[in-house]
Amino acid sequence: MLEIKAFSAGYQGNDVVHDVSFHVETGEAVMIIGSNGSGKTTLFRAMCGLLGASSGEVLFNRDDLAGMPAQRIVRLGMGFVPAERHLFPRMTVQEHLSLGAYPKRPDPETMSIVLDLFPRLAERRRQRAGTMSGGEQQMLAVGRALMSRPRLLVLDEPTTGLAPKLAVEAYEALGVLRDQGLTLLVAEQQVPLAMAFSDRGYVLENGQIQIQGTSEELAKNPEVRRAYLGVM
Amino acid sequence: MTAVILDGIVLGLQFGLLAVGLTLVYGLGGVLNLAYGQMAVAAAIVVALAMDAGLSAGVAVGVGLLAGGLFGLLLDATLLRPVYRLRGEAQILLSLLLTLGVAFIVDGLLTWQLPLEALTLNIGGGAVEIFGVPMRRGSLWASGITVAAFVALFFFFRSTMLGRAVRSIIQDEEGARLVGIDPNRMRTMILVSSGVLAALVAVTRSMSIPVTVTSGISFTIFALIVTVVGGLGSVAGAFFAGLLLGIINTISSFYIGTFLTLIILLSAAALTILIRPSGLLGVAE
Ligand SMILES: Nc1ncnc2c1ncn2[C@@H]1O[C@H](COP(=O)(O)OP(=O)(O)OP(=O)(O)O)[C@@H](O)[C@H]1O
Ligand SMILES: [Mg+2]
Repeated sequence: MLEIKAFSAGYQGNDVVHDVSFHVETGEAVMIIGSNGSGKTTLFRAMCGLLGASSGEVLFNRDDLAGMPAQRIVRLGMGFVPAERHLFPRMTVQEHLSLGAYPKRPDPETMSIVLDLFPRLAERRRQRAGTMSGGEQQMLAVGRALMSRPRLLVLDEPTTGLAPKLAVEAYEALGVLRDQGLTLLVAEQQVPLAMAFSDRGYVLENGQIQIQGTSEELAKNPEVRRAYLGVM
Repeated sequence: MTAVILDGIVLGLQFGLLAVGLTLVYGLGGVLNLAYGQMAVAAAIVVALAMDAGLSAGVAVGVGLLAGGLFGLLLDATLLRPVYRLRGEAQILLSLLLTLGVAFIVDGLLTWQLPLEALTLNIGGGAVEIFGVPMRRGSLWASGITVAAFVALFFFFRSTMLGRAVRSIIQDEEGARLVGIDPNRMRTMILVSSGVLAALVAVTRSMSIPVTVTSGISFTIFALIVTVVGGLGSVAGAFFAGLLLGIINTISSFYIGTFLTLIILLSAAALTILIRPSGLLGVAE
């Protein structure tokens, strides 16, 4: 579904992501793990058209997304939930969900899937995003992205700012989406959570992919265990 | 006193509508358009010339609104492109410099080529009594048109997909892009609408007093003051601030004098920045 080839990106001519290649197949849940500043956000933002890439290919189904602006990429079926969420603070839950379907009218079936997944959003349809708790905002960001019926949902650290219990709940919701057949790609620092959720993963360090494998393989890898799972 | 307040409302509605065009362009693109008043005047002069050429007032007004929209489209497609790419202080400064340049050029061209041209739309018929005060028909027409424009604007922003899309860019441009909204296309649409609004206000003003080739600067200043008091990017704020400042304006001109009135209005704007930086309603939108 998604194939990234020799992809580099950065800021003002300085690449922080170097020659990265990876792929995501239909129906898979894939994680990208890496410590602070390793380049996960830069990689995702460049891939999703929010940041210019310096070289490489981003093949999404039959389209080459390189150089496309974010708004077109979303319409091609790749949804992105950034770590900072980027909600509209003075708009209600309802307004977010209908905008999620832009430029179409919100589809009632998709709406009920989202509200079943996040019943709290259903209870708070008239509440403005700016007054919601961090956990609710995260649900809303995911819900908004789902309204466009993406084929691939990309999430940058969905647990940012969430208490441990809420982080677990966030991954439970993503697990439901995975089981419904949605293809998912997440960047995560809370490695145990992401590992339990994903089929495969890549370790990004200093802007390069250092290790890759199935989640079981990575869980057994001594380097991964030492650096990310806190096992000595 | 009632008469003064009614006059204030008539004026305030127009102030408010004028400010909408300025405030939306600011909210959406970070552009503080100092050529805004000149857009209004240029459109008014187009109407006047069209009427001189023998077109009926209705058709001439249509042509003027189109000219206002075209002015906005032109600004958007040329000078403002580099402005949209910047952020923060650099963006504001460049927009101020470029649009100030446009303002001077338009002012210069108009006073050089058409120094005596002005738009006055005479709405015939006698005065109509409102609350025992005889009101001129021109003022009533102007108010009716302005209120209708506000109703249309509120409907657009609350209830249409496109209106919501515009608000979403004002609140979080990246979020808007992530739901598939193209901010550049929305900005173009808003620049065109702001030109049409400026033209519309120039037309309604000309039902009460002549709009001359030198009126541009005062249009810009009033729009700016109302925008500051109403909150940047807020249509509802512009509406209420327009009404408030319109009433203050007429009361003060009547009892104190025209010159001091402008200072009073500017002080109101300065006070707003000090006390409620986000404007009358407290939120920018
Ligand atoms: N806007 C920016 N301008 C310049 N450099 C940046 C910018 N954003 C990030 N960087 C740099 O790029 C590198 C990668 O940062 P990035 O945010 O992609 O890492 P990350 O893996 O997402 O980290 P985290 O887990 O903390 O979110 C860092 O060295 C960072 O300082
Ligand atoms: Mg990050």
